Amino acid sequence: MALTGSIDTAAATMPRRRGRNEEPYWRWLSLSPALLLMLAMGVLPLVNLFVTSFNDVKWSAGSAIWTFRGLSHYGELAGDPLVSAGVVNTVLFALGAVAGQMVLGFILALFVSRIPKGKVFFRAFFILPILIPGIVIGAIWKLMFNFDFGLINQIVGAIGIPQQDWLGDPNLALLSVIAVDIWHWTPFCFLLFLAGIESLPRDVFEAARIDGASVWQEFWRVTVPLMAPTIAVTFAFRLVLALKVFDEIYLLTGGGRGTATQVISYTLYQRFFVDDNVGYGAALAVAVIFVVSLLLIAGLSARRGGGR
Amino acid sequence: MSAPRHASSTAIVYALLLFAALIVAVPVVWIGAAGFRTQISLLTGELFFQPTLASFSDVLFSASSDFLMNYRNSAIVGVLSTVLCLVLGTLAAWSLDRLDWPRWVVHLFLGWALVFQMMPPIALAEAWFGMERAVHLDNTFTGLILAHATLNLPMAIWLMGVFVRDVPGELVEAARIDGATGPTLFWRVVLPIITPGLAATTVLCFVFSWNEFAVALNLTARDTATVPVAIAKFAQDFQIQYTQMAASAALSILPALVLLLIGQRYIVSGLTTGALK
Amino acid sequence: MTDLKFNRRQALLGIGAAAIAGRTGLAFAQTAKVAPITIVINQSPWFNSFQQTVALYQQETGNKVSLDVNPFDGSLQKQRNSVRAAQGDYDILIMNSGWFAEMYFGGFVTPITDIDPGFKLDPDIFTLGDTVYFDADKKTMTPQGKLMSLPIQPLIPLLFYRGDLYKEKGLKVAESFEDLFNNAKALHNPPKIYGIMQRGARGPNTVSFDFYPYLFGMGGAVFKDQAAGDYSVVLNNDKGKAALDYYLNLAKQAGHPKTGSIDQAEIIQGLTTGHAAHASIVVAAWSQMDVPNQSIVVDKIEYAPTPHVDGVPPGPALGHWLGGISHNVSDERKRAAVEFFRWFQTKAAQIANAKVGGIPVSAAAYNDPMADERKFRWMKPLAAALPHAINPYAFPEASEVISVLELGLNRAIVGEISSADALNSMSDDIYKVMEKYKYKTAEGPALKA
Repeated sequence: MALTGSIDTAAATMPRRRGRNEEPYWRWLSLSPALLLMLAMGVLPLVNLFVTSFNDVKWSAGSAIWTFRGLSHYGELAGDPLVSAGVVNTVLFALGAVAGQMVLGFILALFVSRIPKGKVFFRAFFILPILIPGIVIGAIWKLMFNFDFGLINQIVGAIGIPQQDWLGDPNLALLSVIAVDIWHWTPFCFLLFLAGIESLPRDVFEAARIDGASVWQEFWRVTVPLMAPTIAVTFAFRLVLALKVFDEIYLLTGGGRGTATQVISYTLYQRFFVDDNVGYGAALAVAVIFVVSLLLIAGLSARRGGGR
Repeated sequence: MSAPRHASSTAIVYALLLFAALIVAVPVVWIGAAGFRTQISLLTGELFFQPTLASFSDVLFSASSDFLMNYRNSAIVGVLSTVLCLVLGTLAAWSLDRLDWPRWVVHLFLGWALVFQMMPPIALAEAWFGMERAVHLDNTFTGLILAHATLNLPMAIWLMGVFVRDVPGELVEAARIDGATGPTLFWRVVLPIITPGLAATTVLCFVFSWNEFAVALNLTARDTATVPVAIAKFAQDFQIQYTQMAASAALSILPALVLLLIGQRYIVSGLTTGALK
Repeated sequence: MTDLKFNRRQALLGIGAAAIAGRTGLAFAQTAKVAPITIVINQSPWFNSFQQTVALYQQETGNKVSLDVNPFDGSLQKQRNSVRAAQGDYDILIMNSGWFAEMYFGGFVTPITDIDPGFKLDPDIFTLGDTVYFDADKKTMTPQGKLMSLPIQPLIPLLFYRGDLYKEKGLKVAESFEDLFNNAKALHNPPKIYGIMQRGARGPNTVSFDFYPYLFGMGGAVFKDQAAGDYSVVLNNDKGKAALDYYLNLAKQAGHPKTGSIDQAEIIQGLTTGHAAHASIVVAAWSQMDVPNQSIVVDKIEYAPTPHVDGVPPGPALGHWLGGISHNVSDERKRAAVEFFRWFQTKAAQIANAKVGGIPVSAAAYNDPMADERKFRWMKPLAAALPHAINPYAFPEASEVISVLELGLNRAIVGEISSADALNSMSDDIYKVMEKYKYKTAEGPALKA
């Protein structure tokens, strides 16, 4: 292939990664299935969403009527109070929840990787929350947060703290939802970090031990840098998933008192599905995807600037 | 991993882990126990209750329930979509990382995968319904399997991407020198090394497929409905049937749990192999 | 139960069907006479009763009906998918009050009288705010329009109250709003029991639905005259203010301290655990009140129509279910669907439906002796309230209006804004929504604080 020549030159400058590629068929064979699936299933919906965002779709006499609206839906986004509240809350939620999950997940993974016995038990145990469907988590936590009967208020009351309206108090609502999300998704981070830690080559740690590194130094100078790719990917994915959080909000607060827990995905649900305003909803979705993509690209480029 | 240095630090670690396990456990046990309660017992929040199997029998055997069939459907879709996702994702990850694709291809592919991950499930579900309807794939297992595999593929590619990076270049070179061709190299050298990552990704893909709701709702009808669709029926227009929901959730966790416990052994054995490098 | 016309028609269809199918006719009850149909419906407390009623239909007529059961939102999703496709999957759509307007306006439902011009709605059937009719030209719901659907479940709120506590304190059934206030105050004893629990949370149709009986029962309204197509906003007139002030005062003096976070599930919880003395909730919740596994106030709850002022009838809002026939299925199946409706609206079918726990849509069932039984003590109050049931919105974009109400009312309840400000801002926003969709609308004068 025409590109091989230039790639070989590039390969010379990156000895650890590049090998001579004598099998273009294998290169294509290994990538095409994934490529095909993504093309077949992924492109059309995205294009459809994009096109819809420039139109209004109304139904009459059983068929759809498309009216071109240009960029007007995008213009309306800024003026929608549910959108502005949505953005703020989603950012707060995503950052708070994701940060919490990642830290907790990492700590738990580190601990579990170090204990001599009981790994199997703890590993299975800590994964439990993500096995539960989102609706159930929302429903059961709603019960637990109940002001009159909930488990949380019972426990809290028993240790002397006054009972709170966890989901109704606008100051607490978002925190409560974040807490539920952390409980729900820390296993995701835990699982990945544990797999990452267990894949780390032992020789580096041996060398550090020989050099007399303390536990702390070992952690910051060896473990974290080696885990950097895993951390980055886990962060990216958790962030993207947190931006789509819906089931919990829907069941716990329905957007919260006032707009306390109004997140973007809930606004999307209201506009796209309930109001059947697909043009506007599509614009919202496209705008969110666009902004988040920009942020991620910025973030990843910054990281790449630090070298591989 | 490196052994802890003092017995007391081990004890602290265990204590903290047990505390964490407690926080994880209490809501899970609450949910599990709720399936054995009566509705009123759950609502009044009483600590000690008389267990009953009424909710479980309601979930499994009532006239409007297809739960066992839903179970079977979820299992079929879950296993097959996970296999598809893993095979495609791992191969793609390896290919992108080591098989000399130009950087722009890699960036484009991975970037596209991430962007796709951001699509809201409702919009995706509606679009897929229209597409699959046109080719008569709606309300079929194939349709849902393809959809779930697509949903989880970005994550599989990215995650396995991280794990394939750890395959030492020297090992690959050595194998090539020994005459291993692409597929053999992949099978004999790469796979054993990425096993812990593979196991983790398998669990995640399966669990995500098993618990997926929005797309499954749109692409299935009565005979292909999955477990989350069945569970969602307990959250009704003006009330939630908590005990039935809890019972169905308890039943729903079982296969994932079993898969996990089985997968554990595989992870552990993979670890020992990895340690020998 | 069946009139002569029905029999002849059945026989004709039967001969036709038998000839086509080549089957030898078994006993009358066993041979299918019409095409099999599929009904798309949601899971709900009344679903079991509907399922049993459908089973009875199949047994009596031999016609096949299958049910596709979905979660609440899922049913809407499935219905939309089906009616928008070239060929529909479902013959009968069980539509909620929240989306039947969308189906009518979109042309997705074929009028029953278009399929069978001879079909007559049984005079005993409650027409539920005339929502069964639709005039596709004028886009209004009045009896001058065509018959689009059959009521399936007439869900409206009733006032649930603790009859045992009334007896203890010698209270009389609350008919006026003063009665309700006084009774609620008399029984208010927090935190053991709240005089009343109101549904003040913000949701898809939560606090609005709770507020309508107060608004309509005081002679207020959101729009001037929907039936005439006049969508001038009158929410912030003096009646609206009186209603909201009363609602807020009631919550403050006799309600739950966290009314702004209370949803229907919590209210039912409050009633069944004995923590609420009054609640205005959808009648379908009756089935939980007397089941020992679900309630500790078995046999203690009584029912009454929601209160009203003198000269104005009670104004419960509809949260009902209608059955419509999908436009994109074959004529054969449409006719089969009409046959089901023909059977469903008969007095015997309705009584059978009630006996298995459903809520009948025919006044005939409410006049049956079963309404005198203790178990069915909710029937008489419901029958008194149903003729006055109000359909809050007769247009498809209602969800945006509801969204405005939800936010405004919720903010007023939690004390973020005054009632006058809430009403003014809501009216303003609603006016903007109606203008956006080009309805005939106007704004009223702003309230003074």
